[in-house]
Amino acid sequence: MTNESDKKKDNEAQDNNVSVEKSSIPGPSELLEDPGRRLFFKRAAVGGGTALLGGGAAYGVGIHSLQGKVSDEYPVIDESVFKPKDQRDVILNFVSSKALNKKHPERNEQYNRLQNKEFDWVNGIIDMYNKPWDNSKPGYTQKDRALQKAGWEPLNLAGSRGSANLQPDTPFNTWDQSDVEKEQYKFESKKHASDAIKSAARVFGAVKCGIAKRDKRWDYDPLYDIDSEKELSWEKDFPFEPKTVIVMLASMDYDCIGTAPAWTADGTAADGYSQMGVKATQMAKFLKGMGYHAVGAGNDLGSSVPYAIMAGLGEGGRNGALLAPGVGPRVRIMKVYTDFEFVEYDQPHTWGMTEFCLSCGQCAEACPADAIPLMESEDGGYGFKPTYEFKDEPGYTWNNHLGIRKFYSDAKKCYNFWVENGSACGACIASCTFNEPDFWHHWFIMAINPYMPKFLHASMALSHPAFGYGHTNDPKKVIKFWKTGEGMRVNTGMKNNIGTSNIS
Amino acid sequence: MEQMQWFVMGVLFTLSVFALAWLSVKVRLQWYIWAGMITGVLSILFGIGWAGASFLEGISQSGAMALIFFCFPGVIMMILIWRYLIAPEFEKQGN
Repeated sequence: MTNESDKKKDNEAQDNNVSVEKSSIPGPSELLEDPGRRLFFKRAAVGGGTALLGGGAAYGVGIHSLQGKVSDEYPVIDESVFKPKDQRDVILNFVSSKALNKKHPERNEQYNRLQNKEFDWVNGIIDMYNKPWDNSKPGYTQKDRALQKAGWEPLNLAGSRGSANLQPDTPFNTWDQSDVEKEQYKFESKKHASDAIKSAARVFGAVKCGIAKRDKRWDYDPLYDIDSEKELSWEKDFPFEPKTVIVMLASMDYDCIGTAPAWTADGTAADGYSQMGVKATQMAKFLKGMGYHAVGAGNDLGSSVPYAIMAGLGEGGRNGALLAPGVGPRVRIMKVYTDFEFVEYDQPHTWGMTEFCLSCGQCAEACPADAIPLMESEDGGYGFKPTYEFKDEPGYTWNNHLGIRKFYSDAKKCYNFWVENGSACGACIASCTFNEPDFWHHWFIMAINPYMPKFLHASMALSHPAFGYGHTNDPKKVIKFWKTGEGMRVNTGMKNNIGTSNIS
Repeated sequence: MEQMQWFVMGVLFTLSVFALAWLSVKVRLQWYIWAGMITGVLSILFGIGWAGASFLEGISQSGAMALIFFCFPGVIMMILIWRYLIAPEFEKQGN
């Protein structure tokens, strides 16, 4: 048909006395008549198609890998030792309470004697933010202090700053249930309910959300009101019996946390705490609006990391933090306790991250307080009890939750460094191999990690700093951070947890 | 910008497929030569993708490392294969 129509056109042109010059560019008919060209296009199509199919299949495998594998290994508990954690023995609670410090002078004495320090636990938290700035030292200037204080401001204004130190029943995370709607909204199915809760979490700005069954093993018991120095009971004081814990994650800024341990890094950590307050109170209000009891929580009520693991959001890391795929430990965890139980519960998953930690240890290397056990310690620091220095001194591990298989760190040394530093640190977050911004090559590594043999983990961990990631205590990163807003007017990446300027 | 990078990667991928298809028409090669050439192309594309994303995220050291460890071996491999395996075949087969 094509040849005939071409000939017809040529004849018509001759009939009209129009000169038709032979073009050097082949027409479509000539192109397909040439067997060499036909073969070329055929092979290009077959080769390209095969490559695309292969790429598509690899992408599918990668996406499947990123979903994680259901883990029936978590939690591994030594029942002979394990018991719910007393809130009073959590370090941030202890240092915030004058009464507890008075009650346990031996803790202060033992720490100072063993560590050769003259450290004041209870005044430390007050002194921390009063350390004078030095405008000649990047990361420790008035500007950095201002960012840090601004990060906390929403919590301060809401009178809820204490929630970071485990104070329950703050205005944000109120126990008041007088605003619960009388009519209860009924969902069509458990899946609809879970999807609705997670959709709301997305609107509130959470980067991830999972739903776990309430588990008394992770709840602080007894609870403790630091303001009134009074013990609280789940049965007598808490306003309802919780059945479900909704766990949400808010991510911190990549470039800002990268400045750790400078004060700058605390800007995003403080902002993260404020986000925790805002998002948890929003989720609690959402549930109350549907007629169910709900109480938001930051660090209070229960241990956030195990709840996040139970909600399928990540795994436990060597630094004691939650490692969430895609962001690593660069997250803040918030929880909402509710009596709503018509939901699909999530399950613990593994992405091979805890196993990777066994061969990595970048956080331990970076920790300025030496609070994280190094690789050389017993079982690589992974077990049912601490392996750090002075672990065998009677009472020294009072702040740890013993009897669960995990990495144990010495939070007392960590907190001591905060006070000396004049700010929270974050070096273990910044240096973590899983602390990555949202770009494809990091997701690629995340996807292939479970398939990597263990002997490669150590070299993968070493590649991280070799590729320029995870350096801490670097004034250049502070200078870089303060320029990351340069492209903010347009922000072509549309990402708000990484700089908008690609200044290196 | 990231989307722009994916578009450019698509163009580079298409050009690579055309180049290999052209080669397949011009000369008959052993399977291992094809395996080497395809590995070289994939290595270069992977390196460009990695480096591009690294420069976009502002970690230029990662971009440079990607060019050195992924792109450069790919380029070297393709040059060597061309010089010692493909060029002689061209001469032998009278192209």
